[in-house]
Amino acid sequence: MNNFVRISAVATTIAVLPALVYAQSEVVVWVAGEPGQTNVYDDLAATYNAQNSDVTISVVKNSSDLFNPALIPALSAGEGPDLFSFGTGPGQPAALIAGGLVADLTDAYFENDWGSTIPEGIVVQTSSDGKLWAFGNEVETTGMFYNKAIFAENGIEVPTTWAEMEAAVATLQGAGFNTPIGLGAADKWPISHWQSMMFGRYAGPEGIENVLFGDGAWTDAPFVAASAKLQEMGQAGWFGSTPVAIGYGELMDRFWAGEVPMTFTGPWVIGGGAEAAGDRIDDFSVFAFPPFEDGQRIHPTNSIGSGWYIRESSENKEAAIDFMNYMFASQDGRVALLNAGTVPVGPLEEALSEAQMPALAVDIWKTSDDYAANGSVPAFLDTITPGSLTTVSYDGLQALLLDVMTPEVFTAEMQSAWAAAKEAGEIMLPGGIAER
Amino acid sequence: MFLDPDSKLAQRLNPILFLLPALSIYIVFAIYPTYSVLEYSFTDWDGINPERNFVGLENYQKLFSDKIFWEAFRNTFVWSGVIIVINVGLGLVIAAMLARVWKARLLIQTCIVLPVVISPMAVATIWRWMYQPTGVINQVLEKIGLGAFATPWLGSPDAVLYALAFAHSWSTIGLSVIIFLAGLQAVDEDLYEAARVDGANPLQSFRYVTLPALRPVTAVVFILTLTQSFKVFDIVWATTQGGPIRFSEILSTYMYKRGALENQYGYGSAIGVALLVIVSIATIIYMQIQNRQDR
Repeated sequence: MNNFVRISAVATTIAVLPALVYAQSEVVVWVAGEPGQTNVYDDLAATYNAQNSDVTISVVKNSSDLFNPALIPALSAGEGPDLFSFGTGPGQPAALIAGGLVADLTDAYFENDWGSTIPEGIVVQTSSDGKLWAFGNEVETTGMFYNKAIFAENGIEVPTTWAEMEAAVATLQGAGFNTPIGLGAADKWPISHWQSMMFGRYAGPEGIENVLFGDGAWTDAPFVAASAKLQEMGQAGWFGSTPVAIGYGELMDRFWAGEVPMTFTGPWVIGGGAEAAGDRIDDFSVFAFPPFEDGQRIHPTNSIGSGWYIRESSENKEAAIDFMNYMFASQDGRVALLNAGTVPVGPLEEALSEAQMPALAVDIWKTSDDYAANGSVPAFLDTITPGSLTTVSYDGLQALLLDVMTPEVFTAEMQSAWAAAKEAGEIMLPGGIAER
Repeated sequence: MFLDPDSKLAQRLNPILFLLPALSIYIVFAIYPTYSVLEYSFTDWDGINPERNFVGLENYQKLFSDKIFWEAFRNTFVWSGVIIVINVGLGLVIAAMLARVWKARLLIQTCIVLPVVISPMAVATIWRWMYQPTGVINQVLEKIGLGAFATPWLGSPDAVLYALAFAHSWSTIGLSVIIFLAGLQAVDEDLYEAARVDGANPLQSFRYVTLPALRPVTAVVFILTLTQSFKVFDIVWATTQGGPIRFSEILSTYMYKRGALENQYGYGSAIGVALLVIVSIATIIYMQIQNRQDR
């Protein structure tokens, strides 16, 4: 009898074990970001895995430069991640959607009441033809990071007008700071933060939307004026003598070391900055760049950093949706994101009551909130426009800084690339999802 | 059942059987992808959509009117020229000098070869750091009184391509030196002895003995360097992404931008095919010249 029980137990175990193994589904998640900036997703996966024995979340991180070139062939081959972060807006995901590579999330939107978390404005950026394609997340902004200690030593107050900004830069140059405002333009994309902010300031939210979704053109007067101002600042040495020779990483090292008094960037640098500056992190704060012209309004830059898409051929769609719910809709997930300096979409009061955001993150979001009533503009035009326009913009922005291209030619080249992308149908026209 | 090992058929099949494993790998990983690129170059494929339309020679026609392609084409030639001069010319000189050094030869050899085994991305990171305006190269130049030569290496339209070509040569010249050294060891010492008896100085020995004896090895190093330099991507992408503007844009980075970043795989493939044709033509021309000289 004992032998029978023993043999039965062993046989049952052998029979059930494979079934147990198969019952545990693996959701492969790809996240784009620089080293150290996406660690929160490892933490979220670990917590989720501990709470869900039937699902394993595996997070794969890749640098922004290499992410898309790795993702697209993988998706085209019917493989790759079950869940992944990717650009949003009218440009980037159009080809993925047209190719049938990403899943329609409209049902998930209604079944999981995502409407109470995702603001309508973000749904508009992640939907087309009445269907939702991504869970837009990671609200991003940009602001002028500055070294309070350097400002204090040189008797500089936070500038609120263009004249004060000019005076601050002149004082810093006089004090021997050859680079009053750091710009790691060798990497190209950091210049586009200035471009996005300045285009937004000069054209306003309506002007930007008119180009993205209407009949406006990048050659319109506000964009030419913004480009001219950027070039003028470069010519006056505000970014140092050779910003296009400096890499973003190297520039940030110099900023946290106190060699560069200001730099225009976003909250994603805060984690690395706290490590680099150590106890001196309290020397740093953020202000809203003052208006460039008299009567100009400050429009905070707000974008969603990415949209989260599910691969159409994934066999683990439900599990991927559940993990998104945990990350972006549950209190635990939202608090973890906030603690890492990543701001989830939707109402924040509840999560903020538990979260402990770094002081610098609070500062930058305050500058955004202070001017929210003026209407916001995209923080990263390069992530919502087609790749062909991004290439032209990046090269053109360097040319402006090197003073080898006029603002008129720059904006004309942008418009030419934009028109070609439009003609080729590379631009998605978002429009929200139908009510049920 | 089995073939007689001494039969004519078995004798003929033997080499094919031995070649088969390597040949299969070569077909799968080299021939087939090359064929695929050629096929894509005649389509408008975006790399995402399963549908791709045959567009004939349209992508190739576009190449001729694409001014960025021609900028990248010119840059690629300058880039390869600099690398060939350093890796073949300087590589040969270093190898010839090393061949006469006995003390610490292994140590020097190791130092020269070491960068070859460093990952290209690591090489790019090292040089990117050194080439910063406040980087170690400019600091050293200032310290030794050559501050006038300090320049924003990665931001200077005039310097960037040469600076990156030098960095690439630093990481690859070791291979040329090793090949030249192996070639030098095969040169008959009696030839040097005869040259000395005839009154040749070291420079004349190098000119009239070493160089002719190394001609086949030089051809190998030249072709290796040429093909390596044409296909370089990592160091340029990780340091400047072809910038500032497009002053360090070479064909491989342009192909990547058009294909992978702008989802124009068809056009990107046409650039790849053009690159293949250019390397092949350059190699054939060099081989022809070599053969003529040998005759």
